Amino acid sequence: MSGATLDRRLANYRAAIRSSTGANPDRGPGDRVDGGVARGSIELGERLAAALDGELILDPGGPVVRVEPATVVLPIDRDRLTDLPGLPPPDAPLVCLDTETTGLATASGTVAFLVGLGWWEGDRFRQVQLLLPDHPAERGLLGRLAAQIPPEAWLVTYNGRGFDWPLLVARYRMARLPAPEHAGHLDLLPFVRRVFRHRMTDARLQTVETELLGTVRHGDVDGWQIPGLYLDFLRGGEAWPLIDVVRHNREDVRSLARLLCRIDADYADQSARHAQPLGDLAGLARAFGRVGRLDDALGCLDAALAPGRTGTAESAREEPLPYDATADGAPDDRGLPWWHPRQPADVGGRAPRPSWARIVTGRLDSPWTAERVTIERGRLLRRMGRHDEAVATWLELAAGPGAVAIQAWIEVAKLREHRLHDLAGARDATTRASGLAERRRRLGMGDPLVERTIAGRLERLRRRLIAAEPAQAATRSTAIATEPPPPRQRVASP
Amino acid sequence: MRTYAPAQTEAVLRTILEDEPSLARGVTHHAVIPARDAEWRELPEWLDPRIRSGLAARGIERLYAHQAEAIEAVRAGRDVVVVTPTASGKTLCYALPALQAIAEDPAARALFLFPTKALGQDQTAEIAELSVAAALAISAATYDGDTPAPIRSAIRSAGQIVVSNPDMLHSAILPHHTKWFQLFEQLRVIVIDELHTYRGVFGSHVANVIRRLLRLCAHYGSKPIIVCCSATIANPLELATMLTGRDPILVDRNGAPAGERHVLLVEPPLTHAATGARGSNLTLAHRWAMPFLRAGRQTVIFGRSRVAVEIMLSTLREALRQDLGPRSRVRGYRGGYLPTERRSIEKGLREGEILGVVATNALELGVDIGRLDVSVLAGYPGSVAATWQQIGRAGRRGGTSVAVLVASAAPVDRYVVHHPEFLLGGQAEEARLDPDNLHVLIAHLRCATFELPFEPGEVFGPAVADDLLAFIAESGHIRQAEDGRWYWSSENFPASEVSLRTAAPENVVIIDTTPDRPRVLGEVDLFSAQVLVHERAIYMHESVQYYVDRLEWHERKAYVHRVDVDHYTYANRAVTLKPLDVFAESPAPGGRRVHGEVMVASLVTLFKKLKFGTDENVGWGPIDLPELELQTTAYWLTAERLAGAWRRNDLDVALMGAGRAIQTVASVLLMGDPHDLGLVTQVRSPHHEAPTIYLYEATPGGIGLSSRLWDRHVELIEAATALIRDCGCDGGCPACTGPRLEPDVDARGLALRLLAELDGPLPEIPDADAVTPPAPVEVVHA
Repeated sequence: MSGATLDRRLANYRAAIRSSTGANPDRGPGDRVDGGVARGSIELGERLAAALDGELILDPGGPVVRVEPATVVLPIDRDRLTDLPGLPPPDAPLVCLDTETTGLATASGTVAFLVGLGWWEGDRFRQVQLLLPDHPAERGLLGRLAAQIPPEAWLVTYNGRGFDWPLLVARYRMARLPAPEHAGHLDLLPFVRRVFRHRMTDARLQTVETELLGTVRHGDVDGWQIPGLYLDFLRGGEAWPLIDVVRHNREDVRSLARLLCRIDADYADQSARHAQPLGDLAGLARAFGRVGRLDDALGCLDAALAPGRTGTAESAREEPLPYDATADGAPDDRGLPWWHPRQPADVGGRAPRPSWARIVTGRLDSPWTAERVTIERGRLLRRMGRHDEAVATWLELAAGPGAVAIQAWIEVAKLREHRLHDLAGARDATTRASGLAERRRRLGMGDPLVERTIAGRLERLRRRLIAAEPAQAATRSTAIATEPPPPRQRVASP
Repeated sequence: MRTYAPAQTEAVLRTILEDEPSLARGVTHHAVIPARDAEWRELPEWLDPRIRSGLAARGIERLYAHQAEAIEAVRAGRDVVVVTPTASGKTLCYALPALQAIAEDPAARALFLFPTKALGQDQTAEIAELSVAAALAISAATYDGDTPAPIRSAIRSAGQIVVSNPDMLHSAILPHHTKWFQLFEQLRVIVIDELHTYRGVFGSHVANVIRRLLRLCAHYGSKPIIVCCSATIANPLELATMLTGRDPILVDRNGAPAGERHVLLVEPPLTHAATGARGSNLTLAHRWAMPFLRAGRQTVIFGRSRVAVEIMLSTLREALRQDLGPRSRVRGYRGGYLPTERRSIEKGLREGEILGVVATNALELGVDIGRLDVSVLAGYPGSVAATWQQIGRAGRRGGTSVAVLVASAAPVDRYVVHHPEFLLGGQAEEARLDPDNLHVLIAHLRCATFELPFEPGEVFGPAVADDLLAFIAESGHIRQAEDGRWYWSSENFPASEVSLRTAAPENVVIIDTTPDRPRVLGEVDLFSAQVLVHERAIYMHESVQYYVDRLEWHERKAYVHRVDVDHYTYANRAVTLKPLDVFAESPAPGGRRVHGEVMVASLVTLFKKLKFGTDENVGWGPIDLPELELQTTAYWLTAERLAGAWRRNDLDVALMGAGRAIQTVASVLLMGDPHDLGLVTQVRSPHHEAPTIYLYEATPGGIGLSSRLWDRHVELIEAATALIRDCGCDGGCPACTGPRLEPDVDARGLALRLLAELDGPLPEIPDADAVTPPAPVEVVHA
């Protein structure tokens, strides 16, 4: 088709649309459509600066609106904070960063129109917000942003690894500019998931504020509205609706700082840390475990299981299911639909018991119980090579009720067979597991998969025992397996 | 015939033709294509020694003529279209330039596009083998919907050969080009394989995806060469030009050797002369396959649907069981089988372990199964290109191979087996697409703006884009800023709103409420939804009946449940057609031929309940659905000379009969689906005041079919005449003039009489293109 035919087709197409909807007024080609006259970046910037009480900076790359919110006092002890896994060294400047964008896709057509930044100057937390008055001015914003991030700084974000930073990198690449260098990136979302998720309804930053920091926002704008508010402004709308957006962003950045202070005060210091809820400690132990700091991890778990601490295992056992957010135990259904695909309807009756698999695999949002923490401890001890203590921990669980005991005996058997080279002991442990499994099967709660594994293990141990008969007889006794497991106090203090 | 002893392919064929009259009788044409020797070229001097030794390790010391020609052309910086039959080593045509580019500069990248995921994965494995053999540490990776997330980022930053498909390019790669900047900055070679599959709506979309791809390449400063590979079609060069917007050179001299090949066109026996009914093509296909299987010849049988494959597989196995044949060595192969199962079947075929395979077209493209002795096609696969792909599955270098095409009852099939010259003689069939279809173009302009703001005066496709951008801006999704550029200014993600495989974005989802958890049964487009899933309709899906309880028209959802009843429903669609604009018009024998734009309005008002078997009317009901409008392009012909000379009723029947035949022939010539073209006849059209036959494109805006029909007007009339004339029926049948409505009217005779009036060469016009469309509108730029 030639260009001429294309024009005719377009004309017909327009005519057809007009006749069917009667909406689109006739416009000649090339007419500007955003409110008649295209406003220049500078004019848009002036309006924005006036509405937001900001300053218009005429950067050679394009005008930028700079807003500086009030400074707040938020003391933080960087030396102490650095002790936690994954946190920046004490001398690295921290730059908290949060963006507001024209969409949720981190693809090339999404623009970050507002970048909020915050950093500490002593105890004071200073903030700056950079706003884009119009699309063509983006180089100006990107240049100003780069100037705010020193190369030795660490970024502090919430989900910034997955969203904000890749988006900004894409913007720099579109503008053919280098993205700012920085020494590290602390994304607080994984930390919050690991340590606090078990007692929160979800891991959004707003939830962190209400459920962890104890602050509530009033009259806040919903995240999904933000792109529309900005795009309306670009199309010739008013600037004042963006006041809410700027405030929203300011609070987001400030919450990052507050969250970091909270972590610093309650978790960086060892004595304070050990008074925290059992689940937090278990999550922290995992965080330590990930970076190989096993002694710290064990310290957290021991503290979590220590008798007599406030908020000990007894209360932790009562720890509500993830959606029971309120203290009185009644499901908090405010803001939740009465039915949700992830959550079965409450039709009364007994609450569902978490399955063994769920306890062991330990999804982040599943509740931490003393039982689960003990499992975690058994695994950690094995990882540390402290096999005897690991066996003792598992035996402690093996004395308990339910399917957990079966798995505990199996773990004991594994340790004895592969680490302690005590085949007879392993066989005894497996026999105990088999007995328990058999009992559950009679009660109608059998698990064929578990039973098969046990049978297979027994058979292998039998063969290995026959092969090793002469040597085995002389070595270890099998006394441990038949003794009742020792009480916890004896194993908890190494 | 009960031959269990192994025999040569040729001997089995001779036995069938001489001693098996029930099979031999159905043969409408028997062609023998003689053997051909290989045409060799030396490996070019400039080829990297590592690639050279890699080829040697795989037993390749020389290249076929077309391979050498193709890589030399790429070396010279030209885009290439390679047209080669199945299994002629086309992989090397594009793999060698890509490997050479990377061998010279490890930073270089190549992008290979295949129409389907399975093909891409096969080719990745092959290219990886080649690069291993060449001791080049080249990372070739598939990037498709199945690629796990952690591997994706590795491919983005380090994949030297990225293998993907157009859908993935459209929705995942182009919109995220900033993450792929290494690819775009260093892209040297783009490969588009199976070019002939990019036609119609899909092709029109892909052409625009390529425009977007090249636009981004220009932004990142790369100028890739495009290598296209196509099966045999009439217009590969034109198709490649339309698809890529470039000016490639054609390489179509096949240098690969081939053995002697017999091609037989077969028609099932006539069972009912009055209705033109014939025996089942599935039964006949399996009867043709049996003797070859018994003689130990490797045979592939192609069915057109999954169901056909399963039916043939079970009857074949049953028959072989009765005769103590090699039952377990016959396997099925179709989409829906597990990949591991497929791989084992492919391997079994290559190694001769498996004797027979019954397959859908899943086995037609690219998949390596070695070369078999016999291929039997149960039904015409829909295009000459696909037919040759399937026939090409049989053909050993040394010996003789046999291909049997068994016609089904469809009119197109009948046409093909009675016109052997169409399949064997030439290149009558062309692939059409229209990259400038307004609906498609606008959709991709939106995506392109999202990817990169448009400069004022920037050209996209046929012309400067500003006018169209201004049009899109009226909806508010893009805006022009003070610097004159057009920016995406919406929170939507436009690529997710465009599906490359359909023209109309809106579909009605059919939801089966029979099981406890409702499940989605399928989707139908809006146009079909009106006649298929209106309330109280009986909807057929995989030969199961469903009753439509509710059609939520605005929600685009139809709720159905399973039933078992003895009737089906048939909805009456009243189609009215109004010409909007004429693009080209000229006198033709008996009247005029016209190409233009039309508005088709379709209103469905009532449905009938018809009993199975007897088609007895057992009730009816009203349908209350809004009228649908379709603005599209059309080709129409008028018969001014006839007005007044015919009885009105006769003219009505003749126009319909001739129209049906033209519709059938048109879909054959243009490689389309019969549903791509709609038919409307008017005894006295209000526009021309003459009897008129309209063929309109079912795709909004059209995809270029109608302008080609206008060009090939004379051929259409001739072929339609031949189709009706050569049909064995009495007075019209579904295979020629369409189902007979009144038994005593001779639709066949009337249609032939009408076509005779229209037949003949076009009147001489001094200047062939003197038929000027109205003066083009001046292009005004912003």
